[in-house]
Formats: sequence, structure tokens, C-alpha cells
Amino acid sequence: MGGKCPHRSVRKRRYSHKTHRRSKFEVKGDDIVYNDLLKPDANRKPLPLDEDLPGMGQYYCLHCDRYFSNVAVRDEHFKSKRHKKRLKIMLGPAPHTQLDAELAAGMGMPDNGPKLMSM
Amino acid sequence: MRIEKCWFCSSQIYPGHGIQFVRNDAKIFRFCRSKCHKNFKMKRNPRKVQWTKAYRRLHGKDMTQDSTFEFERKRNRPERYDRTLAENTLKAIKTIDKVRTSRSESHIKKREQDRARKELEQDILLVSNTMTLKEDPSLVLPKIKVPKTSNQQENLAMEE
Repeated sequence: MGGKCPHRSVRKRRYSHKTHRRSKFEVKGDDIVYNDLLKPDANRKPLPLDEDLPGMGQYYCLHCDRYFSNVAVRDEHFKSKRHKKRLKIMLGPAPHTQLDAELAAGMGMPDNGPKLMSM
Repeated sequence: MRIEKCWFCSSQIYPGHGIQFVRNDAKIFRFCRSKCHKNFKMKRNPRKVQWTKAYRRLHGKDMTQDSTFEFERKRNRPERYDRTLAENTLKAIKTIDKVRTSRSESHIKKREQDRARKELEQDILLVSNTMTLKEDPSLVLPKIKVPKTSNQQENLAMEE
């Protein structure tokens, strides 16, 4: 990734610029989104106001982890192919985890021993 | 020190091998080699990639339920060192390993036999049921066009 486009006039849009790449790091993983969706709607907090996000962070798509500037744009997004594809993935089986990998390798469930503190 | 398992292909990772990725929610992903790491970066699902253990498990290629899988576990509680216990476990590992390999071999053998039997049944069904052969032209060998022999031409000439 380093120094792919060194002569670009807009510094921040360089491939190697960390603030540019930050948007990539901050995307939620599939497993986090899946677990968030499993939580009941009642537990969900109202979205906090955030100046840096589009639309003050009020218009959010849970499935795609994206913020939109207003309701119309968000509703348009809900109709899009990309969103529908994502919906289908999230309705499917849970994403692969390290535990799955260990079970597939012929290990048993993790053993934490007997509970010491009686609740 | 632990021998970890690869996130992607579930193979062992010995100390000093492979690469580790820590996501910004502090979740650790371990990979045994660059092949697995690259596949992860491509966002491939190990359940859909044929060479991974997860795929083989899910599709019945490998043994799934066995009593030998109960021994190896991630134990998150330190065990007090006991020399005789350690000796006995070391001895047991060998026999357990032997049992497991023999069982998995028999599983694979059984799988192959099942497949062969199913194929044979299919073939018998096809041959015994002549109607299907008539209905589906792709099952029958294509007809070979025989070029007109000179014999026929001669006959035509005789008629004239």
C-alpha cells in the first residue's frame, strides 16, 4: 500500500495516508454486525449526535454499517442491491469464528473449570 | 505456550510461525501461513473454501462426532504440575492419536463405499428403466452417420 500515488495534489487522498485508510479500518466486521442484529430492538439506544458523521449520525443502516445524510437517502439505500445482498448474508448462518475453527480442528469446547464464585 | 489453531484452515500454528491480526475491537485472528492470511483479506468464507477443515466438516468429508475429540481443549485454568499425570497424558496422547487416525480412515473408506454403491444403484435404475433412456437423448450414444457406400451407388446405377 505504501506510496502508491506519491504525486497526488490532494495529500489526504493518497493511498498511503493514514487518515484516508482509517475509513477502511473502522468498518465493522461481519461477526460484530451479526451479533448486533441478534440483540432485541428494545435494547437499542437512540443514535448519539455526531458532528463528524453524515447527517449528524442519525440515519444509520445496521446491516451495512453506514451513515446517511437524510431519510430519503437511507430509504433509497434500503432498496439497493448492495443492501439486499447484505441482508441475505446476515439472515444466513452465523459468520465463521475462531471457535468454529477449533471445533473443526478436532478440539472440544473450551474448558474453564468449575465456577469458583457462586452467584 | 500454546499450539494455536489457524482461523482460516484450522491447522496448527507452532510458536514463531504464521501471522496474527488484531482487529480494532481487540479480536485476534491467527493465520498459519500467508495463504490463509490472504484468503482472509479477500473476505472469503472458510466454509465455502474446499481445502479448509471447516468445509470438510460441514460437507461430511471428515469425521464429526467422536469421543477422541473430547480430549484436546482450550483449558483456561492453569493445572497444578503433577509428574505422574504428565507422564500418563504423554503416553495416552500416542494411543489416542492412533485411535483417531484409524477411525478417520474407516470413515473415509465408508464414505467411498457409500458413494460407489449409490452410483451403482443409479446406473442399474437407468438401465432397467428403458423409458428414461428414450426420453433423454443425451444419455444414449450419438448416432454415427454412415457415409453412403459405393455399393448403394452401384445399385442405383443398375436400376437405371
